[in-house]
Amino acid sequence: MSDKTVYMDYAATTPVDLRVAEKMAGCLTCEGMFANPASAHAPGRAARGMVERARAQVAKLVNAEPVEIIFTSGATESDNLAIKGVMHFYRDKGRHIITSRIEHKAVLDTCKQLEHEGFEITWLKPDQDGLIQPAAVRQALRPDSVLVSIMHVNNEIGTVNDIAAIGRITREHGVFFHVDAAQSAGKLPIDLKALNVDLMAFSGHKVYGPKGIGALYVRRMPRVHLDPLIHGGGHESGLRSGTLATHQIVGMGEAYHLAREHLTEEIPHISTLRVQLWQALHAAIPKALLNGHPTQRVCGILNVSFPGIEGESLLFSCQGLAVSSGSACTSADREPSFVLRALGRDDQLAGASIRFSLGRFTTAGEVDAAVRIVSEEYRRLRELAP
Amino acid sequence: MNAMTGEAADYSAGVWEHFRAPRNAGVFPAGMAGILAGRAGSARHGREVEWMLRLDGAGRITACRYRVYGCPATIALCSRTSEMVRGMSPGEAAAYSVVGLAEELGLPAEKRAAALVVEDALRAALTGYNSKQSPPSAAMG
Repeated sequence: MSDKTVYMDYAATTPVDLRVAEKMAGCLTCEGMFANPASAHAPGRAARGMVERARAQVAKLVNAEPVEIIFTSGATESDNLAIKGVMHFYRDKGRHIITSRIEHKAVLDTCKQLEHEGFEITWLKPDQDGLIQPAAVRQALRPDSVLVSIMHVNNEIGTVNDIAAIGRITREHGVFFHVDAAQSAGKLPIDLKALNVDLMAFSGHKVYGPKGIGALYVRRMPRVHLDPLIHGGGHESGLRSGTLATHQIVGMGEAYHLAREHLTEEIPHISTLRVQLWQALHAAIPKALLNGHPTQRVCGILNVSFPGIEGESLLFSCQGLAVSSGSACTSADREPSFVLRALGRDDQLAGASIRFSLGRFTTAGEVDAAVRIVSEEYRRLRELAP
Repeated sequence: MNAMTGEAADYSAGVWEHFRAPRNAGVFPAGMAGILAGRAGSARHGREVEWMLRLDGAGRITACRYRVYGCPATIALCSRTSEMVRGMSPGEAAAYSVVGLAEELGLPAEKRAAALVVEDALRAALTGYNSKQSPPSAAMG
């Protein structure tokens, strides 16, 4: 990344924290914990100790038991394992899944695959603030419902769903509840002992850990059974075979440990920067529109629509700024974000939207630079337009 | 690659350069005589282009301006087309292929729609001239 680029795409991925990178490097070479954690010899047992320490670190951030954490290749695999695993194991119990239309593709496409296999899916729509209402979940429940899968924080607009309320409903009806927490772990407090959540997917690289590692929380009490996706070796209690990637796991553990240490200071710091960003953008471009609930949102994600300009041009204009957009009209079947459409934004507005996502290393100076870049380019494109 | 949508877009250096610094963008001063104007597309459908062409007494395009709403390809095509049609007769400009230009600039096939809107707006501007077969008076389409 160029030194001049302002990075505001922390919801896409985060840089690895230097402290995490150092821990990872200690698991790779002859002098380090390189041995197979499944080996019975001393170096293997030492590596195993590092893995279990990391498992405890991940569990501690979300108040789970270490035995409830299964390491995977990332949140996408965790979502797949949770949803396919439950539906395949409990196929005699029922064939109905409730999820929402604003889930990450890891959930959407997994449910679509199950639909091809003969399972039935109810796709809930968000309300005008981008939230999935617990009442909508209750209404969608059927006698043959087996699983509800609702994301904690929406990756596009940053809204926070009330998973405590949804969990009370699913538990009351004896239905499993899976939550994609890729955008919430390390960004807001999660207490799995207090929540009626049965399965929760986590990512390493959204929390200043490495890519290629994630985890799935699988509740033990009451117990949830899963059919594994990957067979061979019986690692991770038989749920995810394959030699454990010690360096990745140790990296994720350290990242989650640091997230827990910094959570109380990072949330207000990042929230303040996000509010400053929105206020300055709105002052510079009064027509700009905030997407999603104004307060029920995660600290670091701000999604704004810009009337009167085309989305791809806006994104490409802001070259000094690394952000994401709902728009990219390179696809022949260009389809605006369903999330933004659900908020009442038309195709133009849905296309001309930017997701700014701030994180641990964002500075006030970067917020100022982002506002300057976007407002200058907005004016340029407005002047070009008829 | 767009991290949120998973889609990718790559533009050639030529497209990029015209997008960043569009040539001849804007409008002629209000009331200027001898202007042909025409537009095509709509912002609602993702692209809108308005051309303004200035012809001399001999019926040659001496200058052109445009206003454009659209993706980087649409803006770049307007910019490059504005350079290409200068000096052309209305007949030559009407026959000019912006679709061909898009291919020359290495735009992907799915950007053909952008070229068609730029081309349609150009031809809309020239329609008045072709029907009258004489240099126009001040007009805005």
